Amino acid sequence: MSVQIRTLEEHLHASPQADSELTTQEYLVNMGPQHPIAHGSLRVVLRLDGENVKFVIPVPGYVHRGVEKMCEHLTYRQIIPYTDRLDYLSAIMNNWAVAKTVEKALGIETNARIETIRTIMSELQRLQSHALWWGVTGMDLGAYTAFLYGFREREIIGEIFEETIGARLTMNYIQPGGLMYDIQPDFAAKVKKLIPYLHGCIAQYETLLSGNTIFQERLRNIGVMDGAEALALGCTGPILRASGVPLDLRATEAYGVYDQVNFNVVVGAVGDSWDRYYVRLHEMRESLRIIEQLIDNVPEGDYATLRYNEELILPEGLHYGQTETARGAFGVFIDSDGKRPHPRRLHFRSPSFNNMWVVTRIAAGWRIADFIAIQSSLDLVIPDIDR
Amino acid sequence: MGVALEKLPGIVERFPGGSVAVTQLDQAINLARSNSLWPLMFGTKCCAIEMLMATGAAHHDLARFGAEVARASVRQADLMVIAGAIVKKMAPRMRLLYEQMAEPRYVIATGSCAISGGPFMYNSYTIVRGADEIVPVDVYVPGCPPRPEAFFWGLMTLQKMIREGETIREPGIRRKPVMAALPEDVSMHDIRREICSALIEDNVVDVAKAADEKPWARKVREWIQKSSSR
Repeated sequence: MSVQIRTLEEHLHASPQADSELTTQEYLVNMGPQHPIAHGSLRVVLRLDGENVKFVIPVPGYVHRGVEKMCEHLTYRQIIPYTDRLDYLSAIMNNWAVAKTVEKALGIETNARIETIRTIMSELQRLQSHALWWGVTGMDLGAYTAFLYGFREREIIGEIFEETIGARLTMNYIQPGGLMYDIQPDFAAKVKKLIPYLHGCIAQYETLLSGNTIFQERLRNIGVMDGAEALALGCTGPILRASGVPLDLRATEAYGVYDQVNFNVVVGAVGDSWDRYYVRLHEMRESLRIIEQLIDNVPEGDYATLRYNEELILPEGLHYGQTETARGAFGVFIDSDGKRPHPRRLHFRSPSFNNMWVVTRIAAGWRIADFIAIQSSLDLVIPDIDR
Repeated sequence: MGVALEKLPGIVERFPGGSVAVTQLDQAINLARSNSLWPLMFGTKCCAIEMLMATGAAHHDLARFGAEVARASVRQADLMVIAGAIVKKMAPRMRLLYEQMAEPRYVIATGSCAISGGPFMYNSYTIVRGADEIVPVDVYVPGCPPRPEAFFWGLMTLQKMIREGETIREPGIRRKPVMAALPEDVSMHDIRREICSALIEDNVVDVAKAADEKPWARKVREWIQKSSSR
């Protein structure tokens, strides 16, 4: 198979393919970096023929802070707060990815209590992230009410986080070998009270938005991507699963206590924007199922197996670990020299970066309004792309 | 800027002296401005979730302060909330956004990244260390990210500044920026002055005095005296 490489210039000035009798002049439109659909600062260059999108070129880099380079001067405990600030909607899972990599490299054993609390917290965070995404998708497609409902649940889950962790957004909770703090005594009771309430909320989401004809018309059969293409682009998370590939690190790697609970990997049938929407909505139900099974019997034990002043020096070589965040696989790739407590080089494999390039494949041929729906269904977090 | 003088010149100038009418208009205009801020939908990073989305939602409800009309277009907004880190690639864009905004315009910098670079201040090759290097900032709200309540405190501080600060007689003259989390009798100006005086004492070198203490100073002085007497 031959690989054809085209530069940005060639994409921009390629000859238009006439698909209608009326000839229109092609032109370029910049969306962003300041645009409400970007959910941050992502610039997207659209090559347009009338209102039809010919080609889409994402231009990232407007929030690039050089985190990976900075991490070369930080110890492994110091790296964890920086992972909060990549994909800030799934901060706990990002923390866990670093902790998991360090634990695997050093052979640190954790107890059942730590793993159970990590799993519960991750699923709560996934619920929170999907609730925000649901609200924002509704807002992007013209239903502002959805935004208010999505944030209602987000605040309620946030209160539970705040009580135990002390933060609303940048958690910094999971450390190598344990947790920062133990859970509060009434944590289990509060989460148990939350589960039936959230089940009701998801049912409400269905009636509010999923059943809406206009909303369905704007998502169904739009931006279709098959499983092979999704795998070729390196997609992970709900986007890949919506295209029919049942790849979920929670099931395949079974880290934490995911191997002790029953849950389904939700898979879409068509791979359009509607499937991406529906997979996430079902994932919220599966997250509630996981929490339901774990919350009644959190094992006793210590919440940290490692003292915080211990120096962590990873053995020489390459170490990789990954977790399933709300957006896909977040991987941490560490190259250690075996002498210093810092990594020699570090790379974050962030899910949003790969998921962003989907728009170059599936957005072509649709109208600008459909492009909004497609980009909204991808659920991008821009600081996670740029790092 | 100077709405009363430009749009309503007749009313202002008809009164002899004009002082009473102008003063009352000032207060009325500033009151209206302070209670109808239109923020711009501009968020670069995590703070945007807390500052613009969580506060705009029902739980915290930005509408209580009359600032809920978040605008996507710069030309309709007069309050820019810098929520998140500004990097070198974004900096010119942000300056452009600021200049497109409707006057009088106000800026709140929320979060450590917008104030000083925050956690990315050291060793980052792209970060702008403080958004006030690019646009003038009125109120700083520290935190990483600040709570929505902290943002409201910053917003109320800005409203107070608008009510008391600008007059139509002296357009463009605004109070010094204040930090929302500082106690009331301490201003940023005081802190900066103290730091400056300490730095000056440490770093000022009296060149003439230092030269006099050198071993070759006596020879030079004798040579100057000899040459001047000649």
